[in-house]
Amino acid sequence: MDSTSNSPDLAADNQRRAAIDKSVRGPVLFLFLNGAFWLMLSTILGVLSAAKLFAPSFLGDCEFITYGRLQPVHINALVYGWGIQVALGIMLWIMARRSGQELRGGKATMIAAGIFWNITITVGLLSILLGKSTSMEWLEMPKFAWPVLLLCFLAYAWPIARMFGRAFRPEGFMVSTWYILGACFWFPWIFVTANVALHCLPGLGALGAGINAWYVHSVILLFFVPVGVAAAYYFIPKITGQPIASQQLASFGFWALAILGGWTGMQKFMGGPLPFWMVAIGSTVGVLLLVPFGLVGLNHHLTALGKHDAVSCSPTLRFIFFGSIFLPVTGIILALSSAFWTGASIQFTQAWYALQTVSVYGFFSMCAFGAVYYITPRLAGCEWLSVRLIRNHFWFSVYGVSTIVIMSLVAGWQQGADLNNPEYWNLDFMNHVLNSRPYVMARAIAWALISFSNIFFLLHLMLMVAGLGRRSNAPTLLHRSHGHDDTQTSAQASHA
Amino acid sequence: MMNFRSFILGLAAAFALPWLLLIVVPALNYQQLTRVAYDKDKDGLEGFYPPAVVNGQGQLIYIQEGCNQCHTQMIRPVQLGLDGWYKGWGQDQESRPAAPVRSNTLRDYLGEKYAPLGVQRIGPDLTNYGWRAPAAQVIHQKLYDPASIHDWSTMPAYKHLYKLQKIQGPASERALKLAGKFAPPAGYEVIPTPEADRLVEYLLSLKKDFPVPGQPAVAAAPAAAKK
Repeated sequence: MDSTSNSPDLAADNQRRAAIDKSVRGPVLFLFLNGAFWLMLSTILGVLSAAKLFAPSFLGDCEFITYGRLQPVHINALVYGWGIQVALGIMLWIMARRSGQELRGGKATMIAAGIFWNITITVGLLSILLGKSTSMEWLEMPKFAWPVLLLCFLAYAWPIARMFGRAFRPEGFMVSTWYILGACFWFPWIFVTANVALHCLPGLGALGAGINAWYVHSVILLFFVPVGVAAAYYFIPKITGQPIASQQLASFGFWALAILGGWTGMQKFMGGPLPFWMVAIGSTVGVLLLVPFGLVGLNHHLTALGKHDAVSCSPTLRFIFFGSIFLPVTGIILALSSAFWTGASIQFTQAWYALQTVSVYGFFSMCAFGAVYYITPRLAGCEWLSVRLIRNHFWFSVYGVSTIVIMSLVAGWQQGADLNNPEYWNLDFMNHVLNSRPYVMARAIAWALISFSNIFFLLHLMLMVAGLGRRSNAPTLLHRSHGHDDTQTSAQASHA
Repeated sequence: MMNFRSFILGLAAAFALPWLLLIVVPALNYQQLTRVAYDKDKDGLEGFYPPAVVNGQGQLIYIQEGCNQCHTQMIRPVQLGLDGWYKGWGQDQESRPAAPVRSNTLRDYLGEKYAPLGVQRIGPDLTNYGWRAPAAQVIHQKLYDPASIHDWSTMPAYKHLYKLQKIQGPASERALKLAGKFAPPAGYEVIPTPEADRLVEYLLSLKKDFPVPGQPAVAAAPAAAKK
């Protein structure tokens, strides 16, 4: 994959890379650090909102933290605070490295855009807590937020796309940059469409709800999935030293996602007021997406085949490996909630939460963690301090997010069965509420474990950005790698 | 392989198709959607469908509080879910309705800036809540402290929509009738704010199962089906 790794003049090559890294250092570290802060906040709010779901008077009947206001803040902090922010950082770095170009100008604009992005989200989320929510999923922030967010996004997307354009070689094969360019290109389009439709048109009634669901699905499928897949396509070959297993699969997976990604969403309201063909298309495509997800997952698996030693000792590869396992899982949950056969049973249940969590946290964030663990040392000029912190972060994340996804899915099945239980037809919702309570408690506990590890992730990252990491030429690996005994460090020895 | 321009065109075309067909054209067409008049001969009804515009002020409170996180406003057809047969979820409040409640159409939500169809159904569906709603007093009590009605309820208490005030002179007739541990301290009473009143008016106005012009009513289910 990396054509320069066999270059005879290794020193010059390393210098070139160092120059590229230096050129994107400021914006990327800014995005990572702020993203990690929002991530920590979002997971803590996840605990709180799950707690409010089974104990509504937890922390008092305060109006600012009712479930209806807290849950959107939790999700929005995850999506805009962490997800998009860290995605932009990863996109910028991979694109610069992949296209072999330094970031020439616009660094100050990028930092300014980053600051405005964070201010807007802060004000937007506070507005939701203060009772100004729009109740449109993933767009709950008041109307003023979206133009600012759009401009800030473009301040990053435009230079990234320019790099791609300058370095595009028709004969070259750069699938990770395809995905990144796609994400740069599709997100503003989706974002503008949804916001104009919902805020500027005179009112779309139930169609607005459909467009809202389309927005959520499209952002997942045409932004978070491409960025996560791009990171996987970049780092798996890089660390295992093997080329991408199949270019045909990669190419096919990319175009299949591009063609199918924009059609889903309306199936969330199957059986509802939307025209039937919209729901039917969303439902069909939701199942068809299993094909690209399966192919991409297979390709990643084949690329990492035989290098499971690297998976166990490289923090980056470990996170990305599990992230790419969650990709087909995302596809399966999407298919389950899209097909009428199962979708009608888990409609309007926690299965919807399972889909959001598995795509944004299980798949995307795990890949993003892997990328952050790789990129940060190269930009900060020091190595990660503690193997134990990385390892804890990994295991807490894997177990935590798996628990949330499985619990939410099973809870969804239970809720759906309760809603369709003929014996409950004339009862109030007591059974429904009581039956779903244990799953929500499990969710709260899982988020608490994840929050715990994310607090340390943030601290670890802060130390790195402050330049207080380990001074060493050897990367921080999770344990002794068979071929590279010289990479063993004192930090590892003390934690082994 | 392809050149840069055809790559970008490919990306654009792949997304433009669903964008145009699924979002733009339906959104433009929706602007043409209007109320329709009932045909007195065929439908046996007069007036317009849907009969009333939405209570926008009340819906705003509903939206700002995020009620749609737990309450849906959408009845599914019987082949997809039992919604239509839930007791009291439609106009027919009989314990054995003759026919299931009909599922919703686009026109049911006409005039709503954004229809809060719902995220999850943790609480009961509210599409046709207006038919089964108890007296406004009881809804206020439920909003003020749901636990005072059902101890298992996980609904949040919207106490900020109510005002705790000292009783001056005769007690207000609007004061909530709260008993036991839910009662305010002696000499105080709980009064709904205007926001609470708007919200309750909105909830009482939720009736989305009026007959659709030109559509025959759903055939009555066999009476023997339910014993």
